Amino acid sequence: MKRLLAVTLGILTAIGGFVDIGDIVSTSEAGARFGLSHTWVLLVGIVGICVYAEMAGRVTAVSKRPVYDLIRERLGPRVALVNLLGAYAITLLTLAAEIGGVALALQLLSGAPYLLWVPAVALVLWLALWRVKFSTLERIFGLAGLSLVVLLIATFKLGPDFTQMTKIAPPPGENWPTYFFVAIALFASAMTPYEVFFFTSGGVEERWTPRDLTLSRVNVFLGFPLGGLLAFGFLATSAAVYEPLGMRVDTLGQAVLPAGLAFGQVGLGLVILGVFAATFGAAMETSLSAGYTVAQYFGWSWGKYLRPRQAARFHTVVLVSILLAVAALLTTIDPVQLTEYMLIFSAIVLPLTYLPILVIANDRGYLGDKVNGRLANTLGVIYLFVILAAAVAAVPIMILTGMGG
Amino acid sequence: MRLLIGFDLLDRQIVDRDGVPVGKVDDVELSEDARTLTALLTGQSALGGRFGGVLGRWITAAAGGAEPRRIPYDLVAKVDSAVHLAIKRELLAPPALEKWLDDHLIGRIPGADNAES
Repeated sequence: MKRLLAVTLGILTAIGGFVDIGDIVSTSEAGARFGLSHTWVLLVGIVGICVYAEMAGRVTAVSKRPVYDLIRERLGPRVALVNLLGAYAITLLTLAAEIGGVALALQLLSGAPYLLWVPAVALVLWLALWRVKFSTLERIFGLAGLSLVVLLIATFKLGPDFTQMTKIAPPPGENWPTYFFVAIALFASAMTPYEVFFFTSGGVEERWTPRDLTLSRVNVFLGFPLGGLLAFGFLATSAAVYEPLGMRVDTLGQAVLPAGLAFGQVGLGLVILGVFAATFGAAMETSLSAGYTVAQYFGWSWGKYLRPRQAARFHTVVLVSILLAVAALLTTIDPVQLTEYMLIFSAIVLPLTYLPILVIANDRGYLGDKVNGRLANTLGVIYLFVILAAAVAAVPIMILTGMGG
Repeated sequence: MRLLIGFDLLDRQIVDRDGVPVGKVDDVELSEDARTLTALLTGQSALGGRFGGVLGRWITAAAGGAEPRRIPYDLVAKVDSAVHLAIKRELLAPPALEKWLDDHLIGRIPGADNAES
């Protein structure tokens, strides 16, 4: 059982990356408009995050340093500061979106408007981070998020057009630029940088040593494909229900409805529980990551394994980030749309995050004989080019399509 | 052991004998004749000094103008993926910002002394 629970870090990290609130709605929207024709993007994303999370986990297990700690060493303080600002902006926007997402899930359950829930959610989030053990949080939200598996069962009951899975083209009536915009957004969300920051900082919180190399790999190769599969669940159930009707998806309520159509109230209940856990998990992941990145750039003490007084600056960053997120939400900005802006910052941050990881994973000074093999390097380089291409294309396509409209 | 200051030391994490983060090697101090390394400097003001310009002044100002902390190089036990000190970090003066936030904000919240396990 203990072995089984040891993979919840990977599951929680992946859920926070693949099925956070922005992804839930945008993936469902992709299914409604483009059917299953984006399935390949999810596959490309899963392989990419697995390749780099494996490298990052290996670096951390062997050197006992989280990867963000090493980015400044390799990029120098100036370029690393650009990375820090971009990464922090992404993380903060996502945090705001997730707090809004939990509030939206509570609105679905209670009927009370989500803005009333925002301060309460933020308070509970902060209390959880202040008082509850890292491993406990990871288990509760990692496992509860798994109730989204109901979507995969629903997929087979609803039966979308599976033949589209092999097509790499927009269906009739949709154009290529929008198709690519959605593809880049799905890819960027699979590779969001806070996933590796959180995953490796979590490894340090759990005191990984070189003996935990296998544990790190099991986390990666189980957690991330599972997260991707859950994202596929949203894509496929939406494709089955909305695409034939020509309907668009732009709210959380629409995204969870197909599960209800498949399994009635039980299905709807399970999927809402899953969304609640996934978004709350993502909120924890992003608020901790905000603290991790700032603290690790400046070399401050950080982490939940220390008493809060021993890491006062880290806890202040976490607290201030949560307050900033609440302030952003109270301007009544749409939380679902917030994560779409993330793409702009991703274009800067993704290459600056993954290049140093690839470099360090080849450095014998850190890794000894555990440096990258030929497979990891080949895939790493290929993905670096994919990331660069996506980064370069992101902003022009975004302008061209008016954010995929 | 030969070390390259720029490659092996600058921007590397300093940890105490228990592995708790102390700071980054934001700058170094050399002897008068610049032949030996006498101390590591850590703190935003040291980092700001290296940046220079407006950005450097901002980073220094964010530290409340506190002087960088000086860690004599004799205290370094080993350099690998981090710079390991031979002592516990409590023996060094605490960083000014950390102490201020502890005294005025974090330390005042109930539960601030609770260890995780």
